[in-house]
Amino acid sequence: METNQNTEVLCLEGLKKSFGDLLVLDNIDLRVTKGETIVILGASGSGKSTMLRCVNFMEVPSGGRIILHGEQVGKENQNGSRTYDEKSLSDLRSRVGMVFQHFNLFPHMTVKQNVMEGPRTVLKCDQAECERRAKLYLDKVGLGWKADAWPSELSGGQQQRVAIARALAMEPDIMLFDEATSALDPELVGEVLETMKQLAEEGMTMLIVTHELGFAYTVADRVLFLSKGKILEQGAPEAVLINPKEEATKNFLRGHGSFRLPEPNLD
Amino acid sequence: MGYEWDFSVVFGNFDLLLLGLVNTLKVTGLALFFGIPLGLVLALMRLYGNKALRWPAGFIIEFLRSTPPIAQLFWFFFALPILLGVEIDPFSASVLTFSLQSSAFFAEVFRGGIQSIDNGQWEAAKAIGMTRNATLQRIILPQAVKRMIPAFLERAIELMKTTTLVSTISYSDLLYQANTIAQSSYRTLEVYTTAAAMYFVVILACSLLVGRLEHRLGRSGEITRG
Ligand SMILES: Nc1ncnc2c1ncn2[C@@H]1O[C@H](COP(=O)(O)OP(=O)(O)O)[C@@H](O)[C@H]1O
Ligand SMILES: [Mg+2]
Repeated sequence: METNQNTEVLCLEGLKKSFGDLLVLDNIDLRVTKGETIVILGASGSGKSTMLRCVNFMEVPSGGRIILHGEQVGKENQNGSRTYDEKSLSDLRSRVGMVFQHFNLFPHMTVKQNVMEGPRTVLKCDQAECERRAKLYLDKVGLGWKADAWPSELSGGQQQRVAIARALAMEPDIMLFDEATSALDPELVGEVLETMKQLAEEGMTMLIVTHELGFAYTVADRVLFLSKGKILEQGAPEAVLINPKEEATKNFLRGHGSFRLPEPNLD
Repeated sequence: MGYEWDFSVVFGNFDLLLLGLVNTLKVTGLALFFGIPLGLVLALMRLYGNKALRWPAGFIIEFLRSTPPIAQLFWFFFALPILLGVEIDPFSASVLTFSLQSSAFFAEVFRGGIQSIDNGQWEAAKAIGMTRNATLQRIILPQAVKRMIPAFLERAIELMKTTTLVSTISYSDLLYQANTIAQSSYRTLEVYTTAAAMYFVVILACSLLVGRLEHRLGRSGEITRG
């Protein structure tokens, strides 16, 4: 039991989310073990973003359970419903890193201040610890030399890598990436994917929404295909990307014609 | 038939005009000092308060914006003392009126500034676990205030011009002093020209100063893409 809890970072049980009458997530079950890299694919509107946003309660789920490191989020009321006070949500979010399509750096702060903001205001780290983390994680994304630059002075790819460092500085248990490269010019996509790949290799637990199928193929331990709010198909990258069972998955993959497999011997 | 300009009256009474200018600046300065924080409070109540806060804040703002400032001034100077049973001197009535009056306008400036900040900033702060208050203080307001500087300046200038109303309740601001000197000396043209020039110089100086401040702030950090 002990080992099971130690290795399971995140567990979604019967996760549901609707906006008004629109059911966007329909009974999602997912167990994420430590160090696992999961890529989530699916057509636009299939609920990928909503799924990630439910994990850190940027959207409050309409039903189901979210369990992070064996602990269910929120406080249980007497009637079994749950309340989510600001403190426990802040706590949860400090342990779940998120990177957005639009990098959303704080433009009035330098690169270093951006990275130190979370440790300082949320974790209440002292100055030395904030500085240590800023240096460590900016170096990790290869931008230690830009510590004193303003976000506006960086390229899109560099800004996104700072956003990754800002999330890493919280030393989270799991990282969520929502189309982290979709807003980038094609020539800047590679450096961000490279950073993400490096994190995966270092054993970071990650949930990644992306349309970069080549990246999914090389980096993912598991690929999920989401359709109309359900996990339609999941498995190893070879299984889902090369030999999909479901018609919807095949259609989706056909629509991404530019996908080239890294190994030429397959197909 | 050329008019014979004679500024000797102005020179002879320049200390009185200066005193008037100082009084104008005193009322304006205090109204800004109280009005800006009060405006921020009203804006936050209106934006983030529950119904019990939002509704009164909205009412106060709209009421103050939709009544003539001179009516407000008369109310605080002539009517409020009847309610309270104590005299209110012209200076206090002026500061009270213009603090409240400008707070309504500043509330709207704050609200516009806060709402102009991209929602992604809120999301990014939330995602690292920042609370709403921390996000407002450290992420939203610093950016919003920077954008609001031109609107602030415009309101402050408007405020200084509106404070000339205090001469109607015999508070000795610049306009009141000019009236007094003009009436006793009959040098109306010279006196009012000088008074107008003094307003102009002060307001121009403020504009230039704020412009430089804005330029300095503008260099630190721009708006990020996306
Ligand atoms: N805040 C919201 N309010 C209403 N509908 C929403 C909201 N967010 C997402 N949706 C809807 O939920 C569905 C799934 O959206 P999303 O999770 O963004 O899909 P994806 O990321 O896979 O493109 C879409 O139909 C979208 O319009
Ligand atoms: Mg999306």
